[in-house]
Parts: sequence; structure tokens; C-alpha cells
Amino acid sequence: MKRKTDTMPGEPAKRPKREAARKAQGDDEAALPKKRFYRQRAHANPFSDHSLTYPKSPADMDWASLYPAYSLKKSEEVVNDAGGMEVCGSHDETPSDKIRKSTRATTKNVEIADIGCGFGGLLFALAPQFPDTLILGMEIRMSVTEYVHDKIRALRVQNAASDTGTYQNIAVLRANTMKFLPNFFTKHQLHSIFLCFPDPHFKQRKHKARIVSYTLNSEYAYVLRPGGIVYTITDVKDLHEWMVGHFEKHPSFERVGEEEYDGEGDGEIRQRVRIMRTETEEGKKVERNNGDKFVALFRRTEDPPWPTEG
Amino acid sequence: MNQEQRNSAAQLRMAFPYKCLAACTRLAADGEDWALFGASGSTLVVQSSRGTQSTWSTEQNVENKPDHGDESVEGPSGKRIKLSHPTHQKNNFSSIKISNDGKYLIAITAEDKSIRVFQLSSDWQLRQLSERCMTRRPCSITLSDDNSTIFCADKFGDVYALPLLPSPEDERNANPHPEDGPKKYAPSASLSTVHSGRNRKVLEEQLKQAAKGRPQPKDAPTFKHDLLLGHVSMLTDVVTATVGSRSYLITADRDEHIRVSRSVPQAHIIEGFCHGHEEFVHRLCMSNSNRLISGGGDTHLYVWDWLSHTLLEKIPLQSAVLNLYRNQSGLNSLVPEREEDFRIAVSGIWNVPSRTDETDEILVACEGVPALFKIKPETPSEEAQTLVLNGNALDVTFVTVAGANTAIVSIDHVHEPGHTTKTRENQEPSRLQLFTTAQNGEWFEDDRLKSTLEWFSQDTVGGQDTGESARVAFGKEVQGVIYGVENLRKRAEIDAAVSV
Repeated sequence: MKRKTDTMPGEPAKRPKREAARKAQGDDEAALPKKRFYRQRAHANPFSDHSLTYPKSPADMDWASLYPAYSLKKSEEVVNDAGGMEVCGSHDETPSDKIRKSTRATTKNVEIADIGCGFGGLLFALAPQFPDTLILGMEIRMSVTEYVHDKIRALRVQNAASDTGTYQNIAVLRANTMKFLPNFFTKHQLHSIFLCFPDPHFKQRKHKARIVSYTLNSEYAYVLRPGGIVYTITDVKDLHEWMVGHFEKHPSFERVGEEEYDGEGDGEIRQRVRIMRTETEEGKKVERNNGDKFVALFRRTEDPPWPTEG
Repeated sequence: MNQEQRNSAAQLRMAFPYKCLAACTRLAADGEDWALFGASGSTLVVQSSRGTQSTWSTEQNVENKPDHGDESVEGPSGKRIKLSHPTHQKNNFSSIKISNDGKYLIAITAEDKSIRVFQLSSDWQLRQLSERCMTRRPCSITLSDDNSTIFCADKFGDVYALPLLPSPEDERNANPHPEDGPKKYAPSASLSTVHSGRNRKVLEEQLKQAAKGRPQPKDAPTFKHDLLLGHVSMLTDVVTATVGSRSYLITADRDEHIRVSRSVPQAHIIEGFCHGHEEFVHRLCMSNSNRLISGGGDTHLYVWDWLSHTLLEKIPLQSAVLNLYRNQSGLNSLVPEREEDFRIAVSGIWNVPSRTDETDEILVACEGVPALFKIKPETPSEEAQTLVLNGNALDVTFVTVAGANTAIVSIDHVHEPGHTTKTRENQEPSRLQLFTTAQNGEWFEDDRLKSTLEWFSQDTVGGQDTGESARVAFGKEVQGVIYGVENLRKRAEIDAAVSV
């Protein structure tokens, strides 16, 4: 079979144009990036090795560079508190290691993760609504991640003096969460995970590539604290049923009743679901096409006692 | 019929090295009785201390069936057309385990993805009870403490639980409604979910196909197998561990992860991760004092307090291999020019059984290295002993004879020591080496069991008169079966270069 090349026939000069445009824009930090220079194929192979960078463990993660406003600069005071993380390899740590680690730490931990954040619509909508919560977007596609990164930078510059939101509480990174979620988050660190319009992987033999499966749900349960919630939305009914089936089968999750999240009432859950329905890029596209939107929420339950101790 | 091939095959009765070994001791009324099991290519070999000698081969069943492999027919144009692949697939054993009660042997074969369970008779003969073919290649198996369940970790990242001996009830339940008939296929995409022109055309095609009816995907196994947990990565090892009344499953993968989960029936609960490896993890080993030792593509072995997910110690291994090559005459040529590029891949870690269960001692082997390294995880600073071997170390098992621990080591007698591709001019006559511990704790080569194990260890024919090309071909075949750990290493730079 012929190898696919980067440029499609008929659009040969895309790459240089993009680079020139992005360069021009790079000089002006406050300018919002243009999506058309960051478009990328909608699918990525989650099983390939790529050339990803990821921390060896959550304690090795440089959070301060993602959330500089929350950076914990006074390093001496925080030697023991890397944010409640289980610090591995602490025995051979030198004092300089500890300082290095603490300068990477932040005063708060990320508590909301948007897995497969795409162009970041949800992030930008959540940021001003939950100004005291650190929110992280995770995306496997490189250029899409760059778009979100550039947009966050621009919004931070534009809103530096704003009262309503400075966008210091959101960040994005490129990651394959299906493989490396526990490298970023410690046990029970998150209270919310969003899975918005994930790749449906229609073909049956590609089903293991779906972002929700019985075995992956164990990892979501690991990083979510008991009571935390997984929010899912899709326009593909089959995928919706798949996600519901796999979460309901998993003993660490129970489905959240519609009365808890639907409607115009108050409460953080309702607010988040409203944003999820309307603010994601895919959500808007489905709206334009008069498509369906299927929402399902799942709550992380307490771990049961050990079988021999119950 | 290809006469030439047949002849060379007849001559080519060189024996495979033992990729894996297992030993088992029974306390009989009239003293100890032990047996050694080895997997040599597609054959299991058994020898007991009382003289039992037997073999069991995956080939023997194949040969009974009519073999159309070499047949060919006249094609319409008068050309001879081969009907199928001339050499049928060989099913080589990749791992064997003996149940704690000494009654069963469980073996996995790589090519046909099968788990075979054998019953061990009173005179150590093997009788196959079951052969279960998994959908993905099993990489590692272990047994629950009560011997009732096999845990099978596969190449796709999943761990399944299978009953050691399926009950008739299990069989019935695992066959859900075969009478329902094939489910009707309906594409899950719809016109509102696909937007591009090309995708819409594909969807229209699918709808047409659906109307015609479509072949069903391959059958799932019909025996009982429960999915316990999964990584999105190739699994390399699975071990069980127990603390008090709590049992755990610990799994290792190619993406540097070591995961600690609860065991059945709560295997969906992840207790934590032992973070720290920078390359693939290949082997996990539980020590006498319940420490976890892990190794793979990293330059060090890692010692863990796995219950608190804390790294206790990193033990240098790459430097130990380099020291061996520098100081051992005959191995000097293996010292690499640029030592920083020198890679090791841990192929095995074995816990040395101890009577007292208090002292930890392990033996470690690296792929393609003709030595074993003795390490005491509690006092890693102590000079480690290196046991130099006549060939690359493949597997180790222990038998206790008259109160003394004997390590039975299988070596690669086909390839040059220190090489995984270069075949020897003259094969090593023995496929085993035996070591015993002295008073001071050092291991020394001890040939007391040599005569007992002579039949087991000898290379049956020797294959001296097979000629150069056959020797090289055989070396290649053996290499494919016994090596491959280094292939687990990621080649990020190369992949990146190709995809750009």
C-alpha cells in the first residue's frame, strides 16, 4: 500500500503557510490564534508510542510552568508537601531535588480534567465559572494542543486586569491519557473528568481504542475521589450506549440520575452539564446540524471493604 | 514432495535450548522425590530424581492429522501452485508454571495463543487436561494462592481469570445463547454524525452492506474467562502477592508502569502505581520478605515497598555486566566502544527460596549475557557475586536435595556466549549448569546432580554433521524462540523520523 504523505493532493503548500502565519502571530502575544492554522486529522492512534513527553510520576510533574500564577515559589517551606502526592523515590532525593520539585509545585492541585479537550471550548467556558479550581485540558493531537496553548496565552494577556476571570486556572498539555493518566494525577486527586464528544471508533475492531472501556474505567476511578463525577457527552447513540454499558458494569461507578443534572436549576453539576452541552466545539457543530446530544454522568463510589474484612 | 527438505529435517535433530524450567518436589514415604520440567521449543521434557524420562510435544498431535502442507496441484496454466504454507506452524512453549500443590503444570505457547493444563501423575507423566486458545497472545501467567484460578496477562494489555479446571457448569455459562443466531449488523454512524463527503459515501456503502447481511466477526472463546483489568499497553508480567488476608495482583507493562490492584473479586480497584522506571518493565519478582524487585530495559534493578508504592533501592546492573565483560578473559571482546550506548534488558529475576523466609536473595539474568548476578536487596552495597556461565542464561529453577539449594540453570548452547545472533562453531554439549550454595553463601558449580540429569541436559544428537547453512538456519530459528526482550524497547527517535 502506498504510504500516506503529510500533504493531501491539491493542498501542497499548507505547511509553510501555516508556519508563516503562526510566526507572524507569535510576535503578538495577545492575538487570538486562528483555528484554520491548527487543523489536524480528527483521529490519533492511542496505541502507538508517538514521541510523547510525560512525567515519570505525578511528583515529577512541572505544574508551576502550566499555572504560573499558582506557583509555589518559596521553596523552603514546602519540602514535605508536594501537594499530598505519594512521592516515589524519596529515599535518594537530594535537598536540591526537593527544591526543584517544590518549585514545580503549585498552591493548588488540578481537580478538573477535560480528556480529549480538542480546541478547548469547554476549558474556556469553565475557566471564569470556576475561577478557584485548576482545570487541565489533555489532548493527544499536537497542533490542536498548540492552538489551545496559544489561545490560553492570549486570553491571559488580554484579561490580565479582568475581574471576571484571568484564565490563570486553565492549562493544556499534550498527552495520551489512555496510557499515562496515572503519571499525571495521584490517587483521588480529581473531582471531575469530562469526556466530551470522544472519537467514536465506529469499527468493531477499533473498539479497544475508545476512551471508555471497563478496564480504563478503573484508571478513571483511581484518579477520581469518591463522590467525583465523570461527565460524558456524544452525538453517537451507539457510543453513548457503549459508555453507559461500560460504566454501569464497573462497580466503582453509579449512574447519576437525570434529575440531578438536567434543567435550568442551580448547582455546579447542572452548570457544568449546561456548559458541556453548549460550549464545546463539537457541541456547537451538532447544534448546527440538528443532531442529537446524549449526556450521561457517573459518580465514583466509595471503595468497598476488602472481601475478607467486610 | 520436497525430498531435500525432508532429508535436512531428518538430520536436523538438534535440540532447542530450554527457554523455561520448572521443578517440583514431593515428599514421598520413602524420601524426597523431585522432577525437573523443561520447555525446549515445542517439546516439554520431564526427568525425575527416580529416573522418569518423558516428553510431550505440541507436534505429536499435529502429525496425527492429515497434513496437506506439502501438496500442490497443477494450475490451469500447468504451473505448480502451492496450496498452503509448506511448513506448518510450530507452537513453542514460552512459559511453564507448576501449581503450588504440585499436581498440575500450566504452559503457554506463543504461536497458537494457548494455555494448556497438564495433570502430573504419581510418576511425573504429563497428561493434557485442557487446551484453551485465547484471543490475544498470553505473555505471562500465574496462579491464585489456592490453585483454583489462572491469571493470564496478554499482549493486548488485559488480565483474564480462568478456572484451572473448568467445571461443566462454567462451560455451559460461557456459551451465551448460541441459538440466537448472528446479530444483525447496523452501522453506528448516522447521517448526522458524519459530515465530510467521503465519510458520507462510506456510510452509504455500509448501509448497503448491512442490508445484504455481513459476515460476523471471529468467535470469542467459548470457555469461561473473566476480564479482570487492563492496561493500554503490552503486559509483560503478572504476579500475585498477599499481606495478611489481602491479596493483590501486580502487573507490569511496556510503558514503564507497575500497577498494584486488588485481586479477585475486586480486581477493578487500583491500589496504586510503582512509578520510577524509565524504560519498559519486563520482570517482576516477589522476594522472601515480600519486597518487589523489577527489571527491564533500565540500567538498574528497582526494589520496592510495593504496598506503599515506594522505591527503596536502585541496584546497578548495567555496570555489573560491563565489569564482567572487562574482567573475564574471553568476554573482553564484548566491551562496547561507547559504554554509554550499552543496553541491557533483564530477562529473568528469580527469588532464591529460603528456609527461614527472612533473608532476601535473588538471581538476575540479562538477555544475551552468559552470567547470573546474585543480589541481596537488603544489602545491595555488598559486592554482588557473578556466576559466569558457558552460555547465555535463559532460566533458573531450584531443587532442594538433602537440605541444600541447587540452582538449575538453562543456558543457550546454540549461540556464542554474549551473542544472540551468532551461532557457535561447536555446540556446547550440555544445556544445563548446576550450582549450590556453600557455607559462606557463595554459589559454586556443583555436579552432583549431573548424572541424574544427564538425559535431560544433553543435546540429543549434537548435530555435528549438519553443515554450516543448516546450523545457521537452526540458530535463527532458536533465536526467534528464546530472545526478544530487547525488542520491547521503544524506538521513539526512529518512529518520529518515519512519521515526519
